[in-house]
Amino acid sequence: MKRNCTRSSMLVTVVLLLSLSLFAQGAKEATGPTTIELWYGAAITEAGPPPSDWVGFGIIKEKLGIELKLTALPSNESDQDVKIQAAAAANNLPDLFMVRRDVLGRLVPQGLIAPVDDLYAKMPVRTAAHYDDVSKGHARIGGKSYGLADPGSIMKNEGLLIRKDWLDNLGLTIPKTTDELLVMMRAFTFNDPDKNGRNDTWGYGAFQEINNFEAWPGRRLEPLFGAFGVDGTWSLEEANAGLNVMKPEFYDAMVFLKQVADEGIIDPNWLSYKKDDFRAAWKQGRFGIMREQNAAFGAQSNYAPFDKNFPEGNWVIIDPPKGPKGKASIGPYTANFRIYAISAKAAKEGKTDKIVALMEWMASDEGYYLLGWGVEGVNYTKDANGIPVAANLPNANLAFSAPGGQTVTQLRNMVFYNGDIELYARYPKYVTETSKKEMSALAVLREMQTKDWTAQIGSDTLPIPNADLKRFYEQGLSEFITGKRVLTPANWTKWLDEFKRLGGQDWNDKGVAFARENNLLT
Amino acid sequence: MVMKQQNKQSRYRRVGTTSVAIKPGKSDHVFNLVVDLFLIVLLVIIAVPLWSTITLSFRPNDYIGNNLQGMFLAPWEWSFSAYKALLGNQGFLLAFKNSFLILTGGVVTALLLTIPLAYVLSIPTLPGRKYLSLLVVIPYVFNVGMIPTYLLVTNIGLIDHLAAIFLPGAISTYNCLIMRSFFEGLPSELKESARIDGASEIQVLVRIILPLSKAIIMTIGLFYGVSFWNDFFHAMLYLNSNHLQPLPILLRNILMASGMNEYVEVSAFGDAPIAAIKAASVFMSAIPMIIAYPFIQKYFTKGTLLGSVKG
Repeated sequence: MKRNCTRSSMLVTVVLLLSLSLFAQGAKEATGPTTIELWYGAAITEAGPPPSDWVGFGIIKEKLGIELKLTALPSNESDQDVKIQAAAAANNLPDLFMVRRDVLGRLVPQGLIAPVDDLYAKMPVRTAAHYDDVSKGHARIGGKSYGLADPGSIMKNEGLLIRKDWLDNLGLTIPKTTDELLVMMRAFTFNDPDKNGRNDTWGYGAFQEINNFEAWPGRRLEPLFGAFGVDGTWSLEEANAGLNVMKPEFYDAMVFLKQVADEGIIDPNWLSYKKDDFRAAWKQGRFGIMREQNAAFGAQSNYAPFDKNFPEGNWVIIDPPKGPKGKASIGPYTANFRIYAISAKAAKEGKTDKIVALMEWMASDEGYYLLGWGVEGVNYTKDANGIPVAANLPNANLAFSAPGGQTVTQLRNMVFYNGDIELYARYPKYVTETSKKEMSALAVLREMQTKDWTAQIGSDTLPIPNADLKRFYEQGLSEFITGKRVLTPANWTKWLDEFKRLGGQDWNDKGVAFARENNLLT
Repeated sequence: MVMKQQNKQSRYRRVGTTSVAIKPGKSDHVFNLVVDLFLIVLLVIIAVPLWSTITLSFRPNDYIGNNLQGMFLAPWEWSFSAYKALLGNQGFLLAFKNSFLILTGGVVTALLLTIPLAYVLSIPTLPGRKYLSLLVVIPYVFNVGMIPTYLLVTNIGLIDHLAAIFLPGAISTYNCLIMRSFFEGLPSELKESARIDGASEIQVLVRIILPLSKAIIMTIGLFYGVSFWNDFFHAMLYLNSNHLQPLPILLRNILMASGMNEYVEVSAFGDAPIAAIKAASVFMSAIPMIIAYPFIQKYFTKGTLLGSVKG
């Protein structure tokens, strides 16, 4: 028996060793140049990483003495968090990595992250374009900045849009108040605004798009809540700071939304729609007013189906409707950032200067265009104004906007800062295929940015509720709207008391204290 | 004809040496109807999402109807653009290859480790068998959790190796116990006669037990195969190099694509609609299992049931 056991052990060992050698395909340690391991957020999650022969690797190695080792972080934020936190637990964080602020807040006290306050001065070009006091403050923890917070998505890039052709068909004018909005929504729902003889349209279209600064009912309905001065999760006004749900005006906004729902003048699928469904719905002409993002509405490929279906269709951007007290807002806006942190391990190994050199090179013309658009003449050309365009290329599939060219621009989020060149390149003018309208998502963006918004810089960094409280909040509010709970002042007060008791008051107090501590109140 | 109809509708009761037909009662009809209805509902629950995914994957870019109408789109209106885009994408093919490596490496390794362990545990005369079994069961009941496993994988240098996906889970206690039960159910006389003929334990396992265990090996192999093929979490955690990413990671990335790229006008898969790409990638990733299952099915029921009744 003993002899057999020994044989079995040997067999198992041989299998293990064979498996290891067969599947050991990991990267080899480089000698010479400093290896920098970078975990980045991919610009297009479904596209592959930069190819192994990407020209950038050679330039970075030759000019900066850096062997860049890239890892795309998972596409989902919670997966990113898990991967980073597992690596942190093993003290195996990469040298430079993208991280969300709340995870950063957990890593810093463990001594796993190096402060970056001294690095801004070493990167004058990058600092001038990418970082200001707000961004520096965004990653500040305990008085020190622990992350390089690069600009994220464009601020105020959404707007309230209305079907002007429907208004014209019905002889209506653009609504300016919530009362006029109600009249218009009823007409859009019941008066056959598209004149197709069918009862297949609604006034307003939405879906539940919720995040930590735009709580239920979420972003798509903020213009309605903005009319009551309670758009967004929080109020960051010094005199009125706290959770909006606790304000009396929030009840008024709920009554308004309840009326809209009860009258059936909002697309009834709004509670079940996902983003793609919502976007398919407006292209199918289901509703006549919505809040939408500039490129989702105005970019060529996104507008094309609507243009094909409704060549006479015409969406216009309108001011948010004014509420009973004259308030109006498209919704809250905050400054978005992508934080790149340097691990304490990398700093200890003396890699900080190399990382600084890499980041500064990315902000140089060479790095900016290479990471942003690829190689000139291969992935892009410049037009008369010096704007990168995907034209006159020998192989159109390698254009920065084509599938073949997208892998070489996966790091562009590390160099873009929403400058004019990027915006012109991102949103070129075009003529629509069917209706031959001249469109530009950039023109749409500029117009959207002129409308009334509620400044809530930093509101996305405020404390979040625990899962139970969040569920109670969202479920309770939706039940008032769907009729499961009767929306009366008494019931509302009762629900609000329960909400406070379950931790809502504590959430409110912590949020206000955090906002005050971090100078977020206005 | 009458006889035929009677056969169809009747059950038989044995009286002495003859069988007497029993006419089904009303309650039998009701029961059968309920069962039929239940199965139809079950079929609809399974088939509708599957059919919806398939038709969605063939949906043309200019399709404007809703999802329900899309399910009845005529085949001549289908577009293969999503499949063309996926199969023309190097990343997809590489991910497929990596998943295939993990699948084959994982199943082979897992079976090579599980079979000997299950066999050893099935030997009633093994000294300390009870304690050994306990050692196998403890990790099943008390899972050590993600961080300790991550530390272990890191410390033995498996980070960024495909083996990290299957080696830590190469022995599933559940599968091992099923296999042990199967081995225990085999006639002990077979093993004893082999031992009398001078066979070692390894020879007994390889020459006597394994040829009789095709059903359980195929079944457990399928269990392992499905888990390794679908393993997203460990790949996400342990693989850093992009060229090692398996299909579930790519699939997740595709599914996360918003359908509206805020920067450029097209997706990484060209002109194919992103919803069709998502559906096609889901369907294609399931194809290997869909192909494998009919071949293994004949062993499957047998394999799972054989160990369950002894004596």
